[in-house]
This record gives sequence, C-alpha cells and structure tokens, in this order.
Amino acid sequence: MITFKDLSLVYPNGTPGLKDVNVTVNEGEFVVIVGLSGAGKSTFIRSINRMVNPTEGELYVEDENILDLKGKDLRKLRTKVGMIFQNYNLVNRSSVFKNTISGRLGHTGTLKSIFNLFSKEDKARAYNNLKRVNIEEYIYQRADQLSGGQQQRVSIARVLTQDPKLILADEPVASLDPPTSHQVMQYLKKINTEDNITTIVNLHFIDMAMEYADRIIGMRDGEVVFDGPVSEVSEKTFEQIYNRPIREDDLRGSDTDDGEE
Amino acid sequence: MGKYLPPKPHQTQKRIRNLIIYTILAIIFIWAFKGVWDRADWSVFNNLAEKFQRVIPSLFSPDWNQLDKVWEKIVETVFIAYAGTLIAAILAVPFGFWAAKNMVKSPIWNTLGKWFLILDRTFPELILAIFFVITVGPGAFAGVLTIGLTAFGMLGKLYAEVIESIDMKVVEAMEANGANKMQILFYAIFPQVLPEFLSFALYRFEIDIRASTILGLVGAGGIGTLIVLSAANRNWEQLGLILLGIIVVVSVIDFASTKIRKRLV
Repeated sequence: MITFKDLSLVYPNGTPGLKDVNVTVNEGEFVVIVGLSGAGKSTFIRSINRMVNPTEGELYVEDENILDLKGKDLRKLRTKVGMIFQNYNLVNRSSVFKNTISGRLGHTGTLKSIFNLFSKEDKARAYNNLKRVNIEEYIYQRADQLSGGQQQRVSIARVLTQDPKLILADEPVASLDPPTSHQVMQYLKKINTEDNITTIVNLHFIDMAMEYADRIIGMRDGEVVFDGPVSEVSEKTFEQIYNRPIREDDLRGSDTDDGEE
Repeated sequence: MGKYLPPKPHQTQKRIRNLIIYTILAIIFIWAFKGVWDRADWSVFNNLAEKFQRVIPSLFSPDWNQLDKVWEKIVETVFIAYAGTLIAAILAVPFGFWAAKNMVKSPIWNTLGKWFLILDRTFPELILAIFFVITVGPGAFAGVLTIGLTAFGMLGKLYAEVIESIDMKVVEAMEANGANKMQILFYAIFPQVLPEFLSFALYRFEIDIRASTILGLVGAGGIGTLIVLSAANRNWEQLGLILLGIIVVVSVIDFASTKIRKRLV
C-alpha cells in the first residue's frame, strides 16, 4: 500500500512539481496516471522510489515514511520498487542476460556482483523472467541488437528479477509503435494479475489507459484532478483532466497485429 | 539548383571587410618572406648535392651486421612505450573520473581535477625526460616514467570525455533498482567506457612508440641513444638500419593497433 499525504514537491529551481497530493494505492491495483506532459506524472511516480525528493508532506510505502530514507535504507526501498523507463535504459553493450541479472544487484553483495558471482537461483530467476516475457531466445545477444519492444521486455524482465512488491512504469510505451505498445502493456497487466504486484503506469494515451487500468488518476499542473475506477471514466473525464477537447494524438490506436516479430 | 534559391543579399560591408583582411595578410606575407630572403645564408646550399651524395646512399645501404644491436634497442624502445602507456592507462582511470563533470558533484572539485590534468600536459616530453634522467639516472626506467607521465595527462582528459558522454539513464536505472555506487560503476559505467578507454590507450601506445624513439636523445633509454651515437660517428649505414627498423616497427604496431581498435568500439 502506498499513501501520499499532503505531498508537495518544489524543484530546486523553484518549479512546482506536486501540489498537495493525497492518494492511496492499494496492493495489487493497476493504476494508470494520465495527464499532459508537465502535469507531474513523472514526479508523482518518481517520488515513490525517491528518484526525486518531495519537499513537504508524507509518503508511506508499506507503512514506512520513505521521505527521510538515506543510503542503505533508501537502496533497500528501491529493491522493493521496480522501475521501467520510456527509453528502456539498458546497457547497450551488455548481453540481455547481464542486463536482466543486474536487477538482482540490490540483493547481492558488492564483491560478489563485481566478480559476477550470482547464485544459481538468481541466474535461474533471471532466465525464468526472460521466458515470462518471451525473449529468452536472445539471452546472449547484445541489448542494442534488439528492437524497441524487445528491449522494453528485457527491462520488464530486469525489474521482475529484482522481485519487486511494486512496479512503476514511466511512459513505458511512448517510444513504441501501437502494436508493440499493446504487447508491452499486456505483459505488465499479466504480471500485475499473476503476481499481484501493484503497478503504477504513466501514460498519455487515453485509449490505452481505459483498456488496461483498474483505476485512473488524472493530473494537471501538479495536482490530482481526478481519481476513480475506470468504470467512472468517460471521454468527458479526460476533457476535464486535459482541460481541452480530446484530439486524435491522445489516442494510441488499436492492437491491429501481434507486434513486430 | 541555384536558380531555385532566393538571391543572396548583397553584403557590401562584409566584402569590404574581407578585402581589407586579405590585403593585410598579403602585406604580412610579403614582408616576412622578403626578410627571410634577404637574411638567409645561402652558402648552406653550396655543396648540398655533394653532402647528399655522401650521406644518402649510405643511409640506403643499411649495415645488417649491426642488426642484433639495433634490434635489441628497438625492442627496448617498444617496451618503454608499453610500460609507460600501461602505467598511464591505469593511472588515468581514477583521474578521468575525477575530471568528468557527470561523476563529481562539486564543480570546484571537478575543475581541480581538470586543471591537474592540464598541468600534467603542459610538461614537454623532453624536459620531463631530462628531469627523470637526472633524478633516477639514465636508462629505460627514466623513459618509462616520462612516457607514463605524459601519456597520463592526455589519457586522463580523453577518459574524462568518454565518461561525460555515457548514457546516464542506465545509471538512473541501476540506482532505481537499489544498486550501490560500486555496483553502478561495474554494471552501468564500465561496460559503456572500457572499450573506449582501451581504444584510446592503444592509440596513445602508437604515439608513445614514436615518442620513446626520441627519448634516448637525452639518455632516457631506447633506440634514441644509438641514433645520437651513430650520427655523431657519421655511421650512416648504422643509422640507415635504425631508421628502417623504426619505420617497420612503427608501421606494424600502428597497423595492428588500428585493426584492434576498429573491433573494440
């Protein structure tokens, strides 16, 4: 469970990121955060693993106020919170396997990891997670030889390898084409339901949000302007969140074929 | 193509400015060459042909009997370059990180690192070589130290630039999964920089081979000492062999290193 209590964030240069956010995310929920760029979606997500530092309020992850965590405790929090990025953030020159097992670093001693001495279970875990996202045939290829959708799947496998309680995905499909986007979202959804991992995804595509979310949080100018189950959401809701009529580029488009392979 | 583009504006002012600059440059050139022409000691060229006839044919008929001696010194030269570059390539790693903007939080501390490397690069090789010949005595060790110290400054700067150009998003991803600084270094940074580090070190090795052939001139070991001796003794046949040896070795190493570097990056 994650609880935002009157959480505000002002960036060092004076830009406000979040204003008085009060949200509770329950275990196992699949939450999609929508909003225009600059609305504070990223700041919201990155507060949860302290990649940004909220300046006021309280933020509880599993009943622990995480705002004062430092050093080892902060790293411990981050091992529990997996993160997926828009640009996959893989090491291009390293193999798919090495990228995947690097998800295990937070659980592994420094010396052991430097000499690549991961336990058998960890290696099996990494391989197994590659299988879950159907990318195991590329295990020994360099990451940069894969397509965008494949790389994003590797980054999902990396996150799974860290055994997270919670997955944050910051615009995971913004760099992908429509069919691949749906594929990636389907994997995230599948993991959410099978492993009961709470998942929070930033999206700016309305149709995708509607298709995959249990619950939608709308943000504008750092404030939460909508929060409710997907059944309560209509086109009107989005127009309120975006504060303008819906346009065609707010939609990703449908899942016309089965991805790029 | 030209007629499809809008006409260029006439910039009379710019043209006049350029004309003035060209005129001034022309005057300086004419003045400089005239000065050289008037003051040159043309007698140098009087028996040029005769001198050339004495030296050049000997240079091109290397004295193969000296091969053992020359070869030994050339190998020593290569070893000096190798040891020096190796020292520099390793020493430059921490300093490269120190001088890289994205690795050091404090800008003052970072600038200090950059300055330190600049300071190192200001020492000319031969001056350093003379310094080390005096302090540690003549011989290969002085050469190694000289090469190590000069290569270190350049490699440190190049390493820093490589580090500054890495994809920090990977670092972000590792931070987000709870890796500590050491693990980030080994899993996110080293895979991105090591091939380039190695490539620059090899490139510097090529330069150092050439540099270490000169170091012997001031007694810092290697083939240079032999060059000075054979030139002083007017032993052109031996000098010819030395030059041939240097050319062959430098070319072979340059060729090999280029091949290896292509595969690295």
